[in-house]
Amino acid sequence: MVKNKTWLVAIREYTENLRTKTFWIGILSFPVILIIAVVVPSLLAKAKDVRRYAVIDRTDWLLPAIEERAQYDDVLQLLKFLQRQAEKGESSVAKLPTALRAMADGLDKKTGKQLESKARFMTTLGKSFANLQWLSKPQDASAKQDASAQTQEFLLWMASMSPEEARGLKAGVKRERYQRVDVPKGTEDPEAWARTQMNGEKDGLFAYFVLGATPLESTDGFKYVSNNRTDKDLKEWIGRLSSEEIEARRFAKEKIDPDVARRIQEPVHFDEKQLDEEGKEKEVSSKDVIRQWAPLVFVYLLWVSIFTIAQLLLTNTIEEKSNRIIEVLLSSISPLELMTGKILGIAATGLTTIGCWILFFLVALKFGPRMMDIPVDVDMSILISDPSFLLSFVVYFLLGFLLYASMMVGIGSACNSIKEAQNLMSPIMVLLMLPLMAMMPVGQDPNGTLARVLSFIPPFTPFVMMNRAAGPPAMWEYVVTTLLLVVSVALAFMAAAKIFRVGILMTGKPPKMGEIFRWVFAKERQ
Amino acid sequence: MDYALTLSHVTKRFGAHKAVDDLSLAIPSGSIYGFLGPNGAGKTTTIRMVTNIIQPDEGEITVLGEKSSELTKDKLGYLPEEKGLYKKMKCAEILAYFGKLKGMDAQAAKTKSYELLDRYGLGEWSDKRTEALSKGMGQKVQMLATLIHEPQLLILDEPFSGLDPVNVEILRDLILDQRRAGRTVIFSTHGMEQAEQICDFIFLINGGKKVIDGPLSEVRRSAEQAVMLDYDGDGSTLRSIPGVVRINDSGKTAELFLAPGTDPQVLLRDLMSRVKVRRFDQREPSLHEVFVRAVGGRQAAKDLSHG
Repeated sequence: MVKNKTWLVAIREYTENLRTKTFWIGILSFPVILIIAVVVPSLLAKAKDVRRYAVIDRTDWLLPAIEERAQYDDVLQLLKFLQRQAEKGESSVAKLPTALRAMADGLDKKTGKQLESKARFMTTLGKSFANLQWLSKPQDASAKQDASAQTQEFLLWMASMSPEEARGLKAGVKRERYQRVDVPKGTEDPEAWARTQMNGEKDGLFAYFVLGATPLESTDGFKYVSNNRTDKDLKEWIGRLSSEEIEARRFAKEKIDPDVARRIQEPVHFDEKQLDEEGKEKEVSSKDVIRQWAPLVFVYLLWVSIFTIAQLLLTNTIEEKSNRIIEVLLSSISPLELMTGKILGIAATGLTTIGCWILFFLVALKFGPRMMDIPVDVDMSILISDPSFLLSFVVYFLLGFLLYASMMVGIGSACNSIKEAQNLMSPIMVLLMLPLMAMMPVGQDPNGTLARVLSFIPPFTPFVMMNRAAGPPAMWEYVVTTLLLVVSVALAFMAAAKIFRVGILMTGKPPKMGEIFRWVFAKERQ
Repeated sequence: MDYALTLSHVTKRFGAHKAVDDLSLAIPSGSIYGFLGPNGAGKTTTIRMVTNIIQPDEGEITVLGEKSSELTKDKLGYLPEEKGLYKKMKCAEILAYFGKLKGMDAQAAKTKSYELLDRYGLGEWSDKRTEALSKGMGQKVQMLATLIHEPQLLILDEPFSGLDPVNVEILRDLILDQRRAGRTVIFSTHGMEQAEQICDFIFLINGGKKVIDGPLSEVRRSAEQAVMLDYDGDGSTLRSIPGVVRINDSGKTAELFLAPGTDPQVLLRDLMSRVKVRRFDQREPSLHEVFVRAVGGRQAAKDLSHG
C-alpha cells in the first residue's frame, strides 16, 4: 500500500529532522531535566555550610541525654550505610575508610533489629563520643574488654570524624551538617555570649537553643534563636530528641511502664491488602503502587509527545509550503504520497525521541538508585511485561498521533503562516486539553461512568484508555474503542488528504472552516 | 507529425472563474515552445494541468503519447515559477532526491547528480548545504534538479525571472542543449527578448483563452510592417510623421509601424530631417508589439514593464 515514493519522502523527512538541533535538544532535554531534578537538590543540600549551634542547658542532664540520642542515631545511620555497602559487595567495601571496613564485614546478614541493638550497645559503650580518651586509658580495661577490636576502631574513628569526612562518606549522618559549639566554661551570661556569636560569619552560630530548667514539669524557658526562618531542620531535630528524652523521664517519674505508655499512645494502623485474581487477600507490593500511578505518567507522556509531534508536523507543513518546494514535489508525486510520507517521517522522529526517553528512564531506574546511593526497591518489570502499559502506550501513541496528525496536516496545508493556523487550531487545542483535565478523576475511578463514556469518543480514546490501564478495562472495551479509533483515523486521514490536495497550492487568504468542509465533501474527478 | 504534448478542449474552473477556457494545443516533439500572456492569463494553471498537479474539469491532456496521470509525472521535468530548495540538504543530495522521486535508482541518481554539478560548474558545491548558495547558483541547482532524470518534455515556468545576464545566458544554453538532445521544452516567460531569441513556436493566452498560436516567424509576419530606429535627438518630433500609424518610443530607440503603402525611403528622409538617425532597420514587428497588440490596452503593457 505504501509506495516507494512515500518512503523516499518519509526517509528524507526523518533524516532531515535528525540533523536539526531541535531534535537533539528534545532528546537530551528529558534526561537533563531528570538529572537536574534528582541530582541538583541533593548536591545543593550537601553544599550547605556546616551549621554551628550552641545549647544552653539550664538543667544538668538534658543536653548529655540529647547528645547520647544523637549519637545513637548517627551510629545506627552509619551501620545501615555500612550494611548497604556490604550488600553491594567487596568493591564497595574496599572504598571505605580503613577503620570502617572490618565493621562492615558481616553486616549484610544482620536484621534491622540486630543493627539497632548493636547501635545501642555501641552508644552505651562510648557515652561521650566527643571525648573518647577512656579507650586509651588503661584503667578502663573492663570497658575495653567489652569492645572488640573493630568496635574500638570504629568508635575512635567516629569520635574524630570531621564534618568534611562525614560528608565525603555520604552516609547521611547528622554531624555532616551540624556541629555543636560548647559554651565556654565559666561564662557568666551564656545567652549574651551566644548572641555575640551569632554574628553572621562563617564560623559564627547559626542558631542557639535554651533548654528550660524544669522540663519535666513544663517547657517554660525553652527557646530557639536563629535569624534563619526557612531552614527548620535543626530545630526539629533537636526538638525531637529532647521530646523523646523528656517523655521517657516523665514516664519514669510517674512510674509508668514505658511499654504501657507506648501501648496507650499507639495510633491505629491499617494493614493494607488487596484481592488477587482468585479473590484471596494479598499484600500490596511496590508493584501495585506502580500499577496505580504508572498510567498517569504514561498519559502525560502520551499527551506531551502527541502534542509536540503534531505541532512539529504543523509547522513543518507550513514551512514547506512557504519554502515553495511543494510544487516541484507535486510534479513528481501525488499529494497523498507526499502527505503520507511526511506523517510517517515525523512519526518516526517522534518514536525515536520517545524511545530514547523510555530507554533512558529504564536505565536510570535500574542503575540510578545505586549510583545515587538511594535505597529504592521498585520492580519496574511490570511496565514492560504487562501489555496494558508499554504495548498499549506504543499502539495508542501511533493511533493518537495519526488522528491528530491528520488534523494538523489539514490545517497546516490550508494556512500560509503559523499565525493563521493558530485560529484554526483552537478547537483542536480544546479537544486535547480535555483528557488532561480528566486525568485525575479517570485515574481514581478507572471503570467509572466518566471513564467509560470518554473511552468511546475517538479523540480521547488513546489518553483515557491509557489512563484506565490500572483498572484494567474489559477486553471488549479495548477491542471496540480501538476499532472506533482506527475507523476515525482512516476517516480523518482521508479528509486530510482532500484538504491537503487543495490547500497545499493555495496562497493568499486562508480559507474559512466552511470552505474546508466543502473541500472534504467535494467529489473528486478521476 | 509527432507531438510531445496535446491538449484538447481543456477547461479548468476555480469556483465561478474559468482559469482556462476550452484550450486546445499541440506541441511538436523537439521544439521550444514559448508560453506568453499577461499575469493571471492562465499560463500557470495550464502548466499545472499538464504536470498533473491539478486535474482539468473538462478535456483531455496527452503527454508523450499517454493520457496525463500520476505515471506520466516521471517523464516530465518541471521547474515551477515559485522555486525553492531544502536549505539543510546538500546540493548533490537534493538533486539525487528529486531524481529518485522521478523513479531513478538510488545509485544512478547519486552518480548523475555529481556529474551534473561538475558539468555546470558547481562541482565544489556538491557537498555543501544549499543555504550557502547564491540566488543564481540556487536557480541553477533547481534547473539541474528538473533535468536529472533526462525527461523528454521539460516545462519551465518563468525560468529567467530574477537572473542576471550571465546566468540568463547559461540557462539559455542549457535550454538549447536540451533541444539538441531531441527533447521538447515549454517555457513561460514575460521576457519577450528571450522568447524571440530561442522559441520555435509561440503560444499566447489571455483570459484563459488562446489568442495566438504558431511558429514564431509566422506570428510576427502576420502583423504589419515595422521599422526599428536608433536615434539621437528630440523624440517628440517623431510624433505625427506622415505614413506612421503608431510609434513605440523608448527615447534612444523607437519602433515605427507603417501605414500600408508607405515608402521606407521617403520615411527615412523625413526622419533624417527631424533627428540624427543611427540605425534604420526595416523588419517584422517585435514580439513585444505582437504581445501588446494581442492582449490590447495599457494593462498588458504595464504587466510587461513590471514582469
